[in-house]
This record gives sequence, C-alpha cells and structure tokens, in this order.
Amino acid sequence: MIQFENVSKLYPLGNAALSDVTFTIEDNEFVFLVGTSGAGKTTILNLILGDLYPTSGSVIVDDQDISNKKYTKLEELRKHIGVVFQDFKVLQDKDVFENVALGLHIQQLSKKKIREEVSEVLSLVGLEDKKQHFPVQLSAGELQRVAIARALCGDRHIILADEPTGNLDPKTTWDIMKIFKKIEHERTIIIATHNTDIVNSMKKRVLVLKQGKLLKDMQKGGYEL
Amino acid sequence: MKELLTSIRRTPYQSFAVFSSLLLTLFLSIILIFCLNFLYGLLGYVESRPQVAIYFQNQVSEVDILKVKDQLMSSGKVESVKYVSKNDAYTLYKQLNKDNPLLLEMVSPDILPASLEIFAKKPTYLPEIASFLNTVVGKDEVNFQKNVVDKLLSLTMAVRIISISFFSFLMISTIIILMTITHFKVALKRDEIELMRLMGASPAYVRKPFLDESMFLGFVSSTTVYLLFLGIIFFANPALQSYLRGIQTLFVDIYGFKLTVWPISITYAVGLYFVLTFFGVGIAALSTYLATRKYLSIERT
Repeated sequence: MIQFENVSKLYPLGNAALSDVTFTIEDNEFVFLVGTSGAGKTTILNLILGDLYPTSGSVIVDDQDISNKKYTKLEELRKHIGVVFQDFKVLQDKDVFENVALGLHIQQLSKKKIREEVSEVLSLVGLEDKKQHFPVQLSAGELQRVAIARALCGDRHIILADEPTGNLDPKTTWDIMKIFKKIEHERTIIIATHNTDIVNSMKKRVLVLKQGKLLKDMQKGGYEL
Repeated sequence: MKELLTSIRRTPYQSFAVFSSLLLTLFLSIILIFCLNFLYGLLGYVESRPQVAIYFQNQVSEVDILKVKDQLMSSGKVESVKYVSKNDAYTLYKQLNKDNPLLLEMVSPDILPASLEIFAKKPTYLPEIASFLNTVVGKDEVNFQKNVVDKLLSLTMAVRIISISFFSFLMISTIIILMTITHFKVALKRDEIELMRLMGASPAYVRKPFLDESMFLGFVSSTTVYLLFLGIIFFANPALQSYLRGIQTLFVDIYGFKLTVWPISITYAVGLYFVLTFFGVGIAALSTYLATRKYLSIERT
C-alpha cells in the first residue's frame, strides 16, 4: 500500500511541486497519474522511490514511513520497486539478458534462479528469442520491453512508470500497455502519462494533478485536465 | 573472476595505466626498502666489530691492563671489553698467517702488544671512551672506528629520511593517479551506477567490482615487481658478494626479531613479498574507495 498524507514538496528555489496531496493506493491497484508538464507527476514517483524528501506530510510505502529516511536506508525498499523510464535507460554495453538480470544480481540470487526468472520475464514481454541481443540491435518498443522486464524481475511488486510510452508509436504503445495489463493483478502499477487514448481506453483509477495539487481522484476515470 | 577480466578487457588503457603506475611505485619502494635494510644491516655489522682498541706498551703488566678494563666496565658506557693478551694476539697472528711460514718465523709473542677491545653501549660514547684511553699510562696506540660508524650512521639516517619522503611522495602521487583513472572508469559506468542505486544496490555492492579490479591489479603488479626484484638480486649476487667479502651475514633487528638481509633469508624474502603485496593491494583499494565515494554518496533532496 502507498499512502500520501498532506504531502507538499517545495524545491530549493521555492517553487511548489506538490501542495497538500493526500491519496492511498492499495496493493495491486493500477493507477494513472495525469496532468500537464510540471503538475507534479514525476515528483510523486520520486517521493515513492525515496529519491526526494517531502517538505511536509508523510509518505508511507509498504507500511514504512519513508518521509525522513536517508537514501541509504531505503535500499531494501527499492529492491521491491521497479522503475520504467521514458528514455528506457537500457545499458548499451550489456545484452538483453544482462540488462534484465541487473536487479536480480543486486538481490544476490543464485545464477540458476537468475536464469529461470529472466527467461520467465522475457517470455512475458515477448523477448525470449532476443536475450543475446545488444540494445543497438533492438527497436524502441523492444527497448521499452527490456526496461519493463528489468522492472518486473525479482519480486518488485510496485512498478513506477514515468511516461513509458512517450517515445513510442501508437501500435507499440498498445503492445506495452498490454504487458502492463498482463501483470496488473500481481503488482501495484503507477503510470505517469500524457497519453489520452490509453487513459480513456483502459478505464483505471486516475489521479489528476494540476500545479502540484490533486484535482481529481477517479475510479475507472478518463483523461481530464 | 570472469567479470573482472571482462572489465579489464573493456577498459584496457585504464587498466594498463593502473598497473604501470603501481609497478613503478612498488619497484622504487622495494628498492628503497631493501637499500635501507641493507644499510641498517651494514651499520649493525660495523657496530658489532670492536669499536675502540687500545694497544699497550710491552712493559705494562696484565694487572694494570685489567685495572683499565675494570675502570671501563664501571663507567656504565661500555657493553663489553675483551682482553687480548700477547699470547692471544700471537695465536691470532698465527691463525691469520698460517700459510706464510716466513712471517711466522719473524714474529714472537713478545713483539705483539697486549690490547683491550671495547664495545660501547652507544656509538655516541665512543669519543669519550677514546679520550679516556688516551690518558691511560702505558698506552701505545688507541684505534677507534668513529669515522666509519659516524659516516654509516649519517648515511643511514639520510637514506631513511629520503626514503620516507620519497616513499610518501610516491604513495600520494600514485593514489592521486589511481583515483583519477578510477574516476574515468566510474564516469563510463555512471548510467549503470545510477540505475543500480535506483534498484536498491548498496554503495558496497556498486563499489565491489571497482575494488576487486584494482586489488587484482595491485596484486599482479606487486607480484611482478617482486619477481623483477628477485631477478635483479640474482644477477647482482656475484658483484655484491665480492663487494661484501669477509662479511658473512647482515641482519636487521625489527622489534627484537632478527631478519637476515644478506644473504637474503627465506623469512626476509617472504616478509618482503607480503609487505609489497600489502602496499600494492592497499594503495589500489584505498584510491578506489576514495574515487568511488564521491559518486556513491547520494543524498535525498
């Protein structure tokens, strides 16, 4: 479960990224964060990840109040969070298998377990036949699938995706969203997006943000600003 | 090991730069350490020789000579005094010239003077002991090796100071060079490090491959330097032996533990290897730790 209680975030120059935001996301919920650029979507994701301190209020993730914890005290928590970025952040000098296995190595699993889990996740995202490929040999859609596979590996039950389809064409965008749909019953998924079609079609919970404020919280909502 | 070798293969120039910096530093260090130990051994050897000797005129009786010996012993500045009678001196003379019958025929015990061989507690007492001996009635000659000991003492001190300064300079510059090279390597893997931290990797986990690689290179370079050093000693052995003719062994006293420096004993050789490896691996690990610390000290904002 993820809870934000009256969370505000002021950046050093004084501009408010979030103002008094309160919401709760239950386990295995699928949530879209929508809003214009600068509305505070990425700030919410970074607060959940423990990359930022809230200026006030509390952020609770997996029953832990992480509001005041140091970066190094959140390593265990981060091992259960998968992150997907708009620019994929796939490592160029590693092949697909090595990229996906990165998180599993951090969790110090055995080689056998890593092999099994990577194969399982790669077949889930449809890349089982490309595990020896290097990023330069893959399309943008395939790169994002690698990033999703990496985020899913190793008991990561919270998936944070920041504009995961921002760089993809409509067809590939839908392929990616299908992957998220496949895993929605096992994981909490939070996707920050501008993509109106996806939000409107998927009929999931939508948190609408505007200038750092939570404007609407809609179950089975659509894209509204 | 496979990952370590892959990392070295992927950044061959940086790895070679680390290896060669360590090689040069460790080579100069082992030469300095050995020279210093050798000089200390030589100093110890010279100090172990009779430092002051007084030769008496023929008419001086043994009783008078032994009185001088007692006076010396009671001064508190003398470690030991050895009385060499005319007969002892003759026996020694015969031993030294046993192959030369002509010389043996020419000398009788009466010609050779009786003497006292004195070992001071500290080299600094030597001038005082010598001036006392010069006042002894019936002395024929006073010999003391002050100059040799003084020169060796000042040489050892100079080498020690130069070694420590040079060694510190070498260590600091090597650490800075290795840190700079590691910075390059870390910069090359910046994206990977950021991603790993986001995925929950601890600083120790991120640092480990860098540490493993530098420590491995430290080990390889110290072993290479050691083998080089052994080779040099092996080839220089005949020259050193002829230079040190008459000196059987040289040893240094390290916290009460006597190590034979010449000829190099197994214990000394093994000790030297451990010291060298410790420095090689230690410098590499320290510089890597310092270089990665900056990149890994992430704070929430």
